[in-house]
This record gives sequence, structure tokens and C-alpha cells, in this order.
Amino acid sequence: MKRSNANTIDCNGLSPAPTVLRIKQALTGRARDAHPLDILLDPACDTSSLARSLGKLADRVRLVARPA
Amino acid sequence: MFSVFEPEASSSGEPYVLTPEAPSFAFDPTDPWTETFQRGLEAANLSGKRIYEVGIGTGTNAAFLLQLCDAALVSGSDLDPRLIELAERNVRSLAPDKIDQFHPIKGAVSLIDTDAARAQIAQTDVVIGCLPQVGDPGDKRLSAFREAQAVELADGADEQADDHIAHYYPWEAFDSYPFNSVGLGLNEALLQRLREHAPKAEVIMNFGCRVGTGIIFELFEANGFRPEKLHSQIVRQDAGTDISFFVMLEKALTGTGLEKDFVCKFFKDAEGKQPISACEAQKLIDEDPETPLFHEVAVIRGIPAAS
Ligand SMILES: C[S@@+](CC[C@H](N)C(=O)[O-])C[C@H]1O[C@@H](n2cnc3c(N)ncnc32)[C@H](O)[C@@H]1O
Repeated sequence: MKRSNANTIDCNGLSPAPTVLRIKQALTGRARDAHPLDILLDPACDTSSLARSLGKLADRVRLVARPA
Repeated sequence: MFSVFEPEASSSGEPYVLTPEAPSFAFDPTDPWTETFQRGLEAANLSGKRIYEVGIGTGTNAAFLLQLCDAALVSGSDLDPRLIELAERNVRSLAPDKIDQFHPIKGAVSLIDTDAARAQIAQTDVVIGCLPQVGDPGDKRLSAFREAQAVELADGADEQADDHIAHYYPWEAFDSYPFNSVGLGLNEALLQRLREHAPKAEVIMNFGCRVGTGIIFELFEANGFRPEKLHSQIVRQDAGTDISFFVMLEKALTGTGLEKDFVCKFFKDAEGKQPISACEAQKLIDEDPETPLFHEVAVIRGIPAAS
């Protein structure tokens, strides 16, 4: 599935490390006060541990668990 | 890479002299990547199959498949329109008896994005390809990401060689694909197109496994293919290819607790016994730009999971 709109980032199939890379890449150059980015996570990704990995960046995204 | 054309392949008893014409804008057919790819293709048992090569380059694989693997038909295309013309000339001179079994798709074709390419793909059993797996060092968003990790581009990495598009792809253009995050966006785009236009076709792709084979297998699985490694070799890292791409991926994970989950795979030795990360590899190059570095190249077959 493609990025459905400019505010959603698809991470289907990605384990936590490449998911974090993808989020960091998506946030690069994006205004800090922009509307939070929706991140569609792979069903195998654990939302709370991913939020811990993101640290402060977690405030700039909304982690959405994709249904399995 | 025609070293695999053994003398016994010639019915006259004479060794084949099968050196493809290879101008500077074409990927060098004597590169070990091509040798690895051909050994994998050999192991795939492609006799009687209809094959399509995405990114056909010099046509060395097309001639190889017709001449030595007994393929029923080989078709192919390339983003650089000069290459399909070159491939046709090379197949004509290297496999003259099989030229009727070669169907070039002319023009500039990105992946399979023309009507002619899609029509051919719909009648194909196996799609093969060895497509770039490193984002273009000149890509604007990738440059911003690199700067955010305080990683410098290697000297000269922003100069474009004649065969630039054989090594790098426009990273931002493929950012809708999740595996673009590790340089596999162009390859993922191909897998998704195949699921749509040739759902029964197998795929055989050649990968530089600097991001690890595990993640490449995940790419196949996420896109509906069951992966299987056909062949792999340790090859020398091309001195001209910029590895800062891999360094920035590792650095971006610093402080996330996931540092150990994604470590690039380079080797200090040609046997592949002394693994080092991209950061360690970069340090060695910084100390001595001539330091030889190695990595695995693997040929991976994907079988449609639904079949
Ligand atoms: C690494 S070379 C491999 C050439 C040949 N397949 C081989 O194995 O020796 C990659 C090839 O892919 C082509 N290429 C790059 N981007 C492409 C794209 N988007 N669509 C089709 N071909 C592409 C390049 O022009 C080049 O010929």
C-alpha cells in the first residue's frame, strides 16, 4: 500500500528499526509545529516500545496500529 | 560476465569469445555482481521459461539465459534507452542462433511502466533484475537526512559517472514504499507492480546485502513473495560507490535502543569471516581510502505466496 496522503506514512512489513528510520526520514525537514504525522505500523510492531525508541520525536507523530 | 561461458558450450569445440560490447554508460558486465547473478540464474533451472529482465544493461544476462540456460524466450527493457539497443546488438553477436527468442522492449522504460512492458510481463514466467539499492547522493531529502545525522558525503560522490543510474536511484521518488527507508524502494516498487500485472510470475533478484539478508527477506514477505536464496558470494565493495548511505542509517538509530537490531554488513576480508558495521567500514576508508572492503551479494528468488 502506498502513502495514502501526505500526512500518512506506511510502514507495512517493517520491523522496529527500519520503522524508526522511516519516521526520522519523514520528519526531516518537516516543520516542528506541523500537524502530527500518522504512522501506519506493521501489526508486529509494538506501539509503546516504538514510542520509547522515538523519544521526543514521538510527540510529532500519531502511531496507528494496522489491523493484523 | 562471460567467464561462465565454458568452452564446452561451443558445439564446434572452439571456446566462445563472448565479450559483450560495454560502453561506459552500461554497467560493467565483468563486475562480480553479474557473475554472482549468473550463477544464481544457473541454479534456478530456467530451461523452457519465458523471462523478462528489468534493467537489462548490456544484455549479458539475456545472452547467457538463451545460450546456456535454455530459456524459451528472453525479453527486457531499461530506463536508459541506449541500453536496450546495446543489449540487442550483444545478443545478436553472442547468441546469434537465438536472436528470434529475444524480444526487446524499446525506449526508456522505468520498471515495467509502459503498455508494451506490461503486455510482455503478463506472458512471463520469471522476472529478473538487479536494480540500484542506494539512494542518489544528490537527492535533496536524502541529503537533508544525511546532514541531520552529521554524516558527510565521500569526496567525489556527488559527481555522476556515465553509469550513474546503474548504481543509484532517485530516493524521494520512491518514498511511498516502506522499504525505501533502507534503500530498497525501487526494488519494492517492482515487486508491487509484479503482484498487480503478473501475479503468477516468480522473481529472481540480485542484491548487495549490505543491509543484511534478513531485511531483504522481509521485503519479499511483505510484498507477497516467499523468498529463497539461490546463490551468494562475497565481493569487494566498489571503491566508487558511496557508503555514507549505510553509515547514516546506522547513525540515525543512535539512542533509540534499536542500534543492535540494524547493523549493516560489510567485511574486512574476502572470505566474509570478519564482519564490520558501516560506521567501522567508513572509519577504515577515512584512514586509508584504498582499504579493501567486502560485502555479500545474493541472488534471491521470490515465489508468489498465493501460488
Ligand atoms: C546494476 S545494473 C545491472 C545490469 C544487468 N542487469 C546486470 O545484471 O549486469 C542496473 C541496471 O538497471 C537499470 N535501471 C536503473 N533504474 C532503473 C529503473 N527505474 N527501471 C529500469 N531499469 C533501471 C540501469 O540502467 C542498469 O542497466
